[in-house]
Amino acid sequence: MKKRLVSVLLTVACGATLLAGCGEKATQETTTDTAEQTEAADTTADQTEATEEEAVDPAAYDGKEVKVWVAENVVDFTNQQIENFKTEYPQYAGVTFTVEPVGEGDAAGNMITDVTSGADVYGFAQDQLTRLVTANALEEVNPDFLADVESANSAGVVEAGKVGGTLYAYPMTADNGYFLYYDKSVVTDPSTLEGIVEQCEAAGKNFYMDLTGWYQVAFFFGTGCQLTYDTDDAGNFTKCNVDYASDKGLVALKEMVELASSSSFQAGSSAGDAVNYAAIIDGTWDAATVKEVLGDNYACAKLPTFTGSDGKEYQMSGFNGCKLLGVKPQEDEDKLQICDDLAYYLTSEKVQLARFEAVQWGPANLNAQASDAVQANEALAALSEQFAYTIPQGNYPGDYWTRSESLAGDVKGDFQKASDEDLTKALETYQADLESYAK
Amino acid sequence: MANKKSGPKKKNALANFFSILVSDLKEIGVTFKEGDFKTRISFLIFGFGSLLRGLWLRGLALLAVEAGLLYFVFGFGWTYLSKLSTLGTIATSKKGRKTVYGDNSFLILLFGLLTLFAVIAFITVWRINVRINRTEQLILKNGRKLPTNKDDFLSLFDSNFDKTLLALPVIGIFVFTVLPIVFMICVAFTNYDANHQPPSNLFTWVGLENFHQLFSFGSAGFGSTFVTVLIWTLLWALLATFIDYFLGIAVAMLINKKGIRFKKLWRTILVVTIAVPQFVSLLYVSKLFARDGLINGYLLKIGAITSAIPFWENATLAKITIVVVNIWIGIPYMMLIATGLLMNIPEDLYESARIDGATPWQMFRHITMPYMLFVTGPFLLTQYTGNLNNFNVIFLLSQGGPKTGNLVGGAGRTDLLITWLYKMTINDTNYRMAAVIGIMVFIVTAGVSLVVYNLLPSVKDEEGFQ
Amino acid sequence: MANKIQGSMKTKRAVGNVIGYIVLILISLIWLFPYFGLLMASFRSFDASVEYGGMVDYIIPHTFSLDNYRFLFDTTQNNYTRWYLNTLIISLCVSVLNTLNVLCVSYALSRMRFKGRTLLMRFWLVLGMFPGFLTMICLYFLLKQVGLTQAGAIPGLILVSVASSGMGYYVCKGYFDTIPKALDEAARIDGASRARVFLTMTIPMSKPIIIYTALVAFMGPWCDYVFASYIAFGHDKSYNVAVAMQRWMVVGDYQGYFTRFCAGGIVVAIPVTLLFMFLQKYYVEGVTGGAVKG
Repeated sequence: MKKRLVSVLLTVACGATLLAGCGEKATQETTTDTAEQTEAADTTADQTEATEEEAVDPAAYDGKEVKVWVAENVVDFTNQQIENFKTEYPQYAGVTFTVEPVGEGDAAGNMITDVTSGADVYGFAQDQLTRLVTANALEEVNPDFLADVESANSAGVVEAGKVGGTLYAYPMTADNGYFLYYDKSVVTDPSTLEGIVEQCEAAGKNFYMDLTGWYQVAFFFGTGCQLTYDTDDAGNFTKCNVDYASDKGLVALKEMVELASSSSFQAGSSAGDAVNYAAIIDGTWDAATVKEVLGDNYACAKLPTFTGSDGKEYQMSGFNGCKLLGVKPQEDEDKLQICDDLAYYLTSEKVQLARFEAVQWGPANLNAQASDAVQANEALAALSEQFAYTIPQGNYPGDYWTRSESLAGDVKGDFQKASDEDLTKALETYQADLESYAK
Repeated sequence: MANKKSGPKKKNALANFFSILVSDLKEIGVTFKEGDFKTRISFLIFGFGSLLRGLWLRGLALLAVEAGLLYFVFGFGWTYLSKLSTLGTIATSKKGRKTVYGDNSFLILLFGLLTLFAVIAFITVWRINVRINRTEQLILKNGRKLPTNKDDFLSLFDSNFDKTLLALPVIGIFVFTVLPIVFMICVAFTNYDANHQPPSNLFTWVGLENFHQLFSFGSAGFGSTFVTVLIWTLLWALLATFIDYFLGIAVAMLINKKGIRFKKLWRTILVVTIAVPQFVSLLYVSKLFARDGLINGYLLKIGAITSAIPFWENATLAKITIVVVNIWIGIPYMMLIATGLLMNIPEDLYESARIDGATPWQMFRHITMPYMLFVTGPFLLTQYTGNLNNFNVIFLLSQGGPKTGNLVGGAGRTDLLITWLYKMTINDTNYRMAAVIGIMVFIVTAGVSLVVYNLLPSVKDEEGFQ
Repeated sequence: MANKIQGSMKTKRAVGNVIGYIVLILISLIWLFPYFGLLMASFRSFDASVEYGGMVDYIIPHTFSLDNYRFLFDTTQNNYTRWYLNTLIISLCVSVLNTLNVLCVSYALSRMRFKGRTLLMRFWLVLGMFPGFLTMICLYFLLKQVGLTQAGAIPGLILVSVASSGMGYYVCKGYFDTIPKALDEAARIDGASRARVFLTMTIPMSKPIIIYTALVAFMGPWCDYVFASYIAFGHDKSYNVAVAMQRWMVVGDYQGYFTRFCAGGIVVAIPVTLLFMFLQKYYVEGVTGGAVKG
């Protein structure tokens, strides 16, 4: 007993050295990382400083570090653009920019886990907007740029970046929607869903469509149902406008159940995971993958129409949304300025067009959209045709996406043998759940 | 360390604990009353008495610990500890376009607890310090010789070797296991979720509200979902454990059978599943069984089926598929164990049975099985509790799907409590409910263990092995 | 007559053996099939001009190619070598440190009798019943406080793994319990200290269990996806292979990475499997001993 204290001391000392040792290693690693980057930055700094040294005091920005998260396939592109950015804004020559590949799906989750360690500027899909606003992971768009951003980009996209009337992010793309890719040699007429499914079945090929929240609205909105949420300024959901528990809703749900019963139906809308398909409902981001698989038979079209159980014909609808670039709230005004300028630059007409040329992401900028190159793109053409039948994707609570997955699970499972009464009841529960997310 | 010891003890014998406490307090009083000035000053300055008595090693050690803990508590922890009761009140605000963060409830709770631990450690060391002074004084009073500094040092490698060995592991477990667990238990009593996310939003204590939600059986309540998931969790663990167990033994016996050659080859083939990381093999197997996967593809091609089998879409099929794939994972492990144990069964038992004309089946029933069950009882228990929390198999194979509207909180038909909890943490950042589920998982695991453990025939006196 | 019985016994045994072989061959095929598929997929090129890197409905690639492996080790395209090295470093450190930790704890609990010993063991047993995921966010912020997340995630992961490894002492303690105490006593009568007995007698006698502990600890980090991704997020260079490769399967940005995932998986599996095969004997000894002791 009496010597326990000595061991306690020993332990404290050991523990301290252990922690210190590890900590040291960590900081060393970071310093080498940043050293590499500053080296790279220095070369450009030398070039620019000579010409425009007088314009602004660069000292205020020197040594600041800005972390950028973008999808893996645009990391190189973004690095390039940041170099251009530094040339155009020479006062930021001393700033260290780090670009990390963090997918748009992960970005929101990671930001929310720990805002302080998250990126300063990051890309994300629109459906994450309210989650991020609620967690205070997004700064409002700089008032200096507000008018410009609103007028330069398509109205729907700007609306999509707003929560309670405040614009929280810079529109980056306007291609977050889905349409039909098909194999010309199998599907001869892509205008009706029944026709496509029939031809796929006959050829022993698959028809892919995801039925979770983002995609199932193609049916619900198609038959004239609505589902939107109202939010207050803080991003809280105040009201849910939904009429799924209706005859229209039932027609939509029955169509989904029928589609899922086809032997050629496969759940999923991600071309990389799809096999042996002749038709897939997917977005522009998978255009290259689909083209690779279908080769000369590659074709795109707007979503088809379907004949509901009530004998009427409906056009499939859906969301039109966008990818946004957000800036994290900062405790340092100078750094906020850098981030705002960078986000603004990375979503400018020039860069949006360049991004389209590099990775075929459809621009949100009106001028860029009107350019010949964008107009000539098959997938984007099909998408813009489809956009005529879709609604701009507003804000939806995270619970909606989770709950809609459950409905999709039921469509493939329990609902296959359900009666109309069961389905009506299920829709009522669904609607009640959706309504409960708005308080 | 002492606080930890008293923790579980309180559960066992509350009265015992209080009697120890009373006698402890009495001893402290006596120490002070009978103590010389060295001892008395030691009540404030740790190790003071030892230092003046020439035992500078232990004296300095005590002093260093005191200084370290005081520095930690007042230099770092105090700001957090003082706000522990409210978890922070200052909201995040804006100054122009700049964000000024207010209190961070998360860090207040975390470091508040850490500081609390430090305070307990301080009291413990103080108690040790008092006792040391008392002992030293008594030795001197009786005219005996105090141990030297060298004795002190050497005892760390002999009579006190246990303390040397255990110090680091115990502290490691305390900081990286006990503290987080206490933290999460606390979270179950707060409203820490997506709408109360630090650093921008505060969260606070809400009492038993989350437990109410868990046991409310309305449409938005977690009650029925919890029961459904719990039943499947228990059933799954039962199936996974026993099917693997018996099949594993069967395979082991087959390989051990006289006349079967290349024993090592067969074993090696099976054991590959243990060696290859599961995130590779299970993800591949999951794709294999998908509706558009290879198995369905080939079955369709040869015309054995006309439409794909929904291995992962149909709830019952998904459950069966998971259990079957788990056999693929589980058999090799059980086979290895059974092989070792089967060889330990005395051959003469079989010999005499054979002479009595027993059939192989009878020998299996009356010799092999009883022996195996007896010897592997505790192992089966750990397997069972392990399977209750078998995250990898479920998460990598079905992600808990198929999902259904009949379950709330994003739970699917094949979700175990543990994967459900994971989804709640990662997808919905619903930490408060996840913490409640976590406590439930603990209660289930502990409950099962306690019941089964007491039923086991082979629970022997630990010393009996030595 | 006797001959006849013997003869029928022989045929019976032979028939039994044939059935046994058939079953074993079937089992082997089932067990190896996924690995065969994995291996074949890894030889399918992702290059559009050759073949396709996503999911397909056949096993044998039309043309065998090493494109996937070339991709993995091309540092200009991705950080696979870095991730691999990270995992290797974590595995080696964890393997060594965990083993030391476990040996210390096991010896103390097996050989020494001190106040609170059974309480400590019971307390750890109870702790082990709490689900680990819950504590991730807490550990994240603890590590962040000392700078061991994101850029420092590698030492952070090692620290967390080692810090909690003491609780996994069961198998090792069980082994120590089987070493006769009389040996210790004899040495101590000769004047050896506990530390001396531990270092010069117990440890050399425990080779199998040391190898077992180290092997199990070494294999763990290769599968660690959940916690590693939680600690290292947003810092590509700190990922381990599991975290990095998981993205190729689940994140939408990586279309057509399936064959690259397979190749990456094979590269991970080969050394681990070889090591495991090589040390299989000790592993069997460890799990068997552990199972009996419970």
